Amino acid sequence: MALRITRRSALRGLGGVAIGLPALEIMFDRHGEAYAQGQLIPKRYIVAFGGQSLGGDGDPLHNDYVPNTTGPNYDLKSALAPLADVQSEVSVVSGLSIPTANGGAVPTAGRRDDFHVSSLSPLLAGVRSPADTSAAGPTSDQIVAAAIAGSTPFKSLVYRVQVDWYLGVSAPYGRDMISYKAGASGGKPIPIVPTVSPQDAYTALFSNFTPPASAADQKRADFLLRARKSVLDLVGGKLQKLAANPQLGKADQMRLQQHGDEIRTLENQISALPPAMTATCGQPADPGPDSPPGGPQGVDAGGTSTYGTNLGYSDEEARARIFCDLIHMALTCDLTRVVSLQLTMFQSHMNVYALCGAHCDLHELGHNGDPVIRGTLAVSKMIAWHMKHFGYLIGKLRDTPEGGGKLIDNVAALMLHEGGHGLDTATGKTNSTHSTENMACLIAGRAGGLKPGQHVAATGMYPANVVISAMKAVGLPETLGEVSGAIPALFS
Amino acid sequence: MTTVPAAIVCALLGACQGQVSGGPGAASTGTSPGAAGTGGTATGQAGAAVAPKELTVGATGLHRLSRIEYDNTLRDLLGDTTRPGFAKLPEDVNDPFDNDYSTQLVSGALVADVEALATDVSARALADPARKAALVGCTPTGPADMACMTSFVKAFGRRAFRRPLTDDEVAGYLGLQSFAVEAGDFYAGVDLVVRAVLQDPSFLYRVEIGAPVAGRPGLFQLGDYEIGTRLSYFLWGTMPSDELLDMAGAGMLATPAGRRAAATKMLADPRGADRVRAFHGFWLGYHQLPVDAALGDELRAESDALVTRVVFEKKADYLELFRWPETFLTDSLAMHYGLPAPGSTTGAWVSYQAAGSPRRGILSHGAVLATGAKFDDTSPTLRGVFVRNRLLCQTIPPPPPNVMVDQPPAATATGCKVDRYAAHRAGACSGCHNLTDLIGFGLENYDRTGVYRATDKDAPQCPISGDGQVFGSTAGPTGDGKFNGPAGLGEMLIDGGDLESCVVTQLFRMAYGRRETADDAAGISALTSGFKAGGRAFDALMVDVASDPAFIYRRWEQP
Repeated sequence: MALRITRRSALRGLGGVAIGLPALEIMFDRHGEAYAQGQLIPKRYIVAFGGQSLGGDGDPLHNDYVPNTTGPNYDLKSALAPLADVQSEVSVVSGLSIPTANGGAVPTAGRRDDFHVSSLSPLLAGVRSPADTSAAGPTSDQIVAAAIAGSTPFKSLVYRVQVDWYLGVSAPYGRDMISYKAGASGGKPIPIVPTVSPQDAYTALFSNFTPPASAADQKRADFLLRARKSVLDLVGGKLQKLAANPQLGKADQMRLQQHGDEIRTLENQISALPPAMTATCGQPADPGPDSPPGGPQGVDAGGTSTYGTNLGYSDEEARARIFCDLIHMALTCDLTRVVSLQLTMFQSHMNVYALCGAHCDLHELGHNGDPVIRGTLAVSKMIAWHMKHFGYLIGKLRDTPEGGGKLIDNVAALMLHEGGHGLDTATGKTNSTHSTENMACLIAGRAGGLKPGQHVAATGMYPANVVISAMKAVGLPETLGEVSGAIPALFS
Repeated sequence: MTTVPAAIVCALLGACQGQVSGGPGAASTGTSPGAAGTGGTATGQAGAAVAPKELTVGATGLHRLSRIEYDNTLRDLLGDTTRPGFAKLPEDVNDPFDNDYSTQLVSGALVADVEALATDVSARALADPARKAALVGCTPTGPADMACMTSFVKAFGRRAFRRPLTDDEVAGYLGLQSFAVEAGDFYAGVDLVVRAVLQDPSFLYRVEIGAPVAGRPGLFQLGDYEIGTRLSYFLWGTMPSDELLDMAGAGMLATPAGRRAAATKMLADPRGADRVRAFHGFWLGYHQLPVDAALGDELRAESDALVTRVVFEKKADYLELFRWPETFLTDSLAMHYGLPAPGSTTGAWVSYQAAGSPRRGILSHGAVLATGAKFDDTSPTLRGVFVRNRLLCQTIPPPPPNVMVDQPPAATATGCKVDRYAAHRAGACSGCHNLTDLIGFGLENYDRTGVYRATDKDAPQCPISGDGQVFGSTAGPTGDGKFNGPAGLGEMLIDGGDLESCVVTQLFRMAYGRRETADDAAGISALTSGFKAGGRAFDALMVDVASDPAFIYRRWEQP
């Protein structure tokens, strides 16, 4: 251990700034609950999302997700089956809904009647959906990041697993983003374009991890870092100067200002020293090149849909696993404290053949796009796919020692879904996948007194109340947009 | 309960009265005086400019290079043909063109990708001795050779920024030479300059500032180099050549005549033909095809060949694109269509008439017919929307919120598609669906990849008539917009007389990288008149857009 501290001290001489200290065992007090210097162990916040409702069109079964029993040791339905190993870390919250305009004005924390993307704003920002497909307020992850990121090099990680929109002739228009930060001086919230390349994410997080083996290597690493920073300095200066040009329109000035801000963020990230290696924090294996993008979903020469091929699919299975590994290590090393993980887009057109055998995309699965693999149980197969990855991440957090306990003790993690199942107020159809009735979601981790491993029926609450519970668990006030109040039963 | 009352639906349908952009009755082209040149300064600012009094132009913001433009630019700037931006940069929104600034978002992901790309691209360029020598242009005497570094920075910077560097900029890059000295390697400094330049706003954005027009707040006349850049990305989709930069520097692009000469020359270049094909690929939706890669390449090649033939090889009346009597087929594509094989694996021109096919023109191509597939089959509705939006420049509103668009129309007793879709055209839905579905049913004899069929998919009891109608039109042989098949639709559109203004409008969108506004209507109208009067040569239309007085102005965008 002493050696590592020495290396760290040596690195500090290279022009880096010491930030983002990981949790070295020697730094803890005797109870392992706080650093010896008196700082608390940082809390971590995760929002995961799947662009899918809980049931299939026309199926009287609303979902195969919500347990029969409430309280601890709830029964695991097929949609949640992959969580068996981590059930004690995960609570299910059912009975949730987002109200709809129902032909009138959009109600508080409600949504427009047309379904796709209209749940984004009330679900993730707690604000009624606007006329367009954006969030009308900042999303919880960015609010939390502003409060707890501290001096971590990455204020938040915003990742998406589904690579592409996959429809050649249209564009996602907001279905591809779930994270928005507050706009400047009360302006429109600013969408955060997620990183979709696991390779890029790896490089950004861990490329400075390899400790220089020799003095010569160390000198070389120092040289490369200084050169890189000089280049970014130069670029940032140019952006600042251009953004101040009064002959540009105000909109252009704002765009360039934002570009300059992102350059500065990147500079801060690369200026951060690599955290000291510990028994838990280390450089993960390089994931290698990204799986090739699959191109738009489509048809073969015979005019038959080619769901058996990689059109509309880019091995999201492998990509999800890599992102979870990277997120786990980034949280372990305290490179970041906030993560937004969009597994699939709203109205996801990802080809699901490779994942569940259905000949359709995720969106059509809810609409019985495969004549055989259909209904709520088919939909549950793909919810289970999302759960497999969420559960994998939770398992890794549970198994990682931190302080006197485990990393999961300091985590609040959400798994949210685009919709529920029931009445579609746009068409009047019942048992519709285009519904935000009968919603449910997961909240995992033990930060801030969260009591995981139970099923809570929170009848009449908004999904945003669950989000607020996670926010409360990491120390934030109990409010998000137009919604307030955590769910007491989720806490011990 | 919850369904929207019919009265509200009917109100929504008021929008289904298709407005054609760019009304008739416009000024003639070429009468406005050309704006004076501004002398080729680095920033394009040379005091107050003037503009024709009647000139109006819609507001615009700065354009960031699209992924395709970025890759084209790296190819021409550094000889990098790996097209790395397409794999790494965030997706562009193609609606239908890839360069609409209002769809471009700045993000941390973008900035990180751009940095990583700059590092990779520079490393590749310097790893190849021939490319390295061409890039630097001088042989350094040592790591501290400032003369060689200066000449490299100025020459490379001028090409990358598409204008000469300012003295401050040169000094900034020379500051990086200290790293070359420290490393004992001149090229370590070159590497950093390339990386810095490739992340610079003047490279990533088409920066347009210009000079304020006296008495016209918010209106600016572009500087000479800014005009050269606008011209180049419009006509080539890539950076200007050295020759074009020289012409810009000499002030030759500020006058309509100067731009006319330059544009004519640029269209004779292979990059010009590439750009014309790219325009059609975006506009007609086959830039990215929802079919497997091998078939997609063949379908695109067929349509590219026809565009090239009409516009460049035959210099034909552009409307012939919609009735051309022959097509370019390989043996495998002929087999796909069920047409006689031409006996060529690389492709040959085949007469539709000789092949006994009723097809004519580009609307008969699989590449175009592939747009708008749905529910494992063609969608007459989406094909109709495509024709209205893309070919007639009308606005078909999205379905009202009480319509479930994720399910095909319900089954009927006959099981035939035309009967199922008849429900669309009854009652409140008819307002829009008469406009769309009736066009789509005229194309029903061709499946999602353009293969002929006589009966419905999976329903041999249902014959397809191929009869369609451009509802509301008075064109065509029967005077009510009725037609049969893609060939008939082509004739119908030609006869209807709205095709020209729509083509001009679409070209305007690509040229300016934005949607047209009311301030652009007079200009578009004048261009359309010129196009019609001049025998409808498409290359001449592009030259007209480039030499249009409005082409060298920008109006700023205030949120």
